[in-house]
Amino acid sequence: MLAATACIGYGFTKEALEAAMTQGIDFIGADAGSMDPGPYYLGAGKPYVSEQSIERDLELLLLAARKADVPLIIGSCGGGGGEPHLELTRSIVQALIGRHKLSLKLAIIHSEPPRELMVRRLQEGRIHGIWPGFDLNEETLEKSTRIVAMMGADPLIEAISRGADVILAGRCSDSAIYAAVPQMRGFSPGLAWHLGKTIECGATIASPKTGQDCIIGTLGHDSFVVEPAHPDKRCTPSSVAAHTMYENPSPFEFVEPSGIVDTSQCQYEAINDRAVRVSGSTFTPASRYTVKLEGADLCGWRAIVIAGIRDPILIAGIREFSEQIKERTAQQALGMGITTDQYTLTIRRYGLDAVLGSREPQAYEMPHEIGLMLDVVAQTEQQALAVLAKARYIAMHTEFDGRLCTAGNVAMPFSPSDVSVGPAYRFTVWHAMELDDPLEVFPIEYIQFNESGEKVE
Amino acid sequence: MSNPKLMDYARILRSKNAGAFVLTIDVIFKDQQAYDHVTRSAALDAQIIANRYQVPSEDVRIIAYPQVLAIKVTMPRLVGSGDLADSDVYGSQQHVPLMYLPVTTTGTA
Repeated sequence: MLAATACIGYGFTKEALEAAMTQGIDFIGADAGSMDPGPYYLGAGKPYVSEQSIERDLELLLLAARKADVPLIIGSCGGGGGEPHLELTRSIVQALIGRHKLSLKLAIIHSEPPRELMVRRLQEGRIHGIWPGFDLNEETLEKSTRIVAMMGADPLIEAISRGADVILAGRCSDSAIYAAVPQMRGFSPGLAWHLGKTIECGATIASPKTGQDCIIGTLGHDSFVVEPAHPDKRCTPSSVAAHTMYENPSPFEFVEPSGIVDTSQCQYEAINDRAVRVSGSTFTPASRYTVKLEGADLCGWRAIVIAGIRDPILIAGIREFSEQIKERTAQQALGMGITTDQYTLTIRRYGLDAVLGSREPQAYEMPHEIGLMLDVVAQTEQQALAVLAKARYIAMHTEFDGRLCTAGNVAMPFSPSDVSVGPAYRFTVWHAMELDDPLEVFPIEYIQFNESGEKVE
Repeated sequence: MSNPKLMDYARILRSKNAGAFVLTIDVIFKDQQAYDHVTRSAALDAQIIANRYQVPSEDVRIIAYPQVLAIKVTMPRLVGSGDLADSDVYGSQQHVPLMYLPVTTTGTA
């Protein structure tokens, strides 16, 4: 099997793809999403890579898969895997099918469960927290901007067994992209899932780390082998083993909808200077089939000012100064009828403690320059800009102890100083929901294209 | 080494989200000796790490991964990724408080 890239849009080399396709690949997979870029992309229905880069990657993969007549499986389409993300990916793929006159069966697997179903499951006590966990109520399930469910291998298996040549999956477990076909063919689920986890980030497990690229996974009945498709790259036992830690709370346990993969007894051995063999992964089926729900909700409109402070007297009193900006902005906002529960003002002090905040180990060391960001999120764009304009004025002109610079406290790098960032979202759902059937919330749509790349009705 | 710190023994010291509500920090040591020295020391103490990261000590999970000479430290995020007060959406710069963790041998601290 071929893992084309860590994420559709991150790219891969043509050399690697071509080299891989000469080796008898059974199917091509690629993940296209993540929640790591934060809640905005899920909530706003937008991808976090460009449409041009999605098209570039998908075009090469579609053509390679059709030429070899093997399935192409794309997981977490468009980043978030929600309806607008799937729609965008579908439109790109359909245009490519038409342009290249490809004959194929396309499967689109949706992954936004009906809200009523989720509310009912919550009432039945069949939605559970995921460590560290937080409470979930019916209103959040009803009102959140978008909620997706992360599918396991089963909807992919269903689509392949119905003859799909290309699968565009909504939100999907990264590993499931690679575990589906092996499970259909009776391979050990522990090895299949662990292989999936190992290659889902593409050439992240290989070096040199010069951009993203393809990885080939070969599954046997007692082990699997991973090897970079690009001849200049290599994998080592420690680079492969280390990946089980990556973005995962534990290196020994991966929770999937159908069960838990255990890698604690694994052996990693080099079979040459580029390829690594892995054995010993086991799988414990789950007592109840669950899928992770990920939800994001609009929490307001954001507007920011970026400025710099160089005055050493002000820097010495920056903590008191920050408090003053907050207090005075609250008073001024109230004068416009905006109360403090209608907006948040976050003052980010780059160069001092903006990144680590109260965890900053060197907070006592004063820098000679501080980047100041005033960050307002309010209920409307107009309100955010109104509060921000007050905060900016106050930052510029507020008196502080020992002040000499009475014409202005901060340096603005450009005009206009105030930038509207647009809608801001937050994660509101991060829970596991029990399903009655692994396909229950993943309806599959099939579209057949003829030799001219046209839809067959 | 006078006043050795965790960063002096590490080949990789990185942090990242493990989902939107969990932060995970990987320390991969330079060699077996460094791994053994630090894991036998009193440095990787849940209470000390909890204090540095301002989370309850029972929420700090320390997992040894000897196959790759690594220690993984996992804890809840202070706020969800991208939430209003968040400063690090990917959680990728949260390893620094661990860099400066003093490494002292048990009993001689």
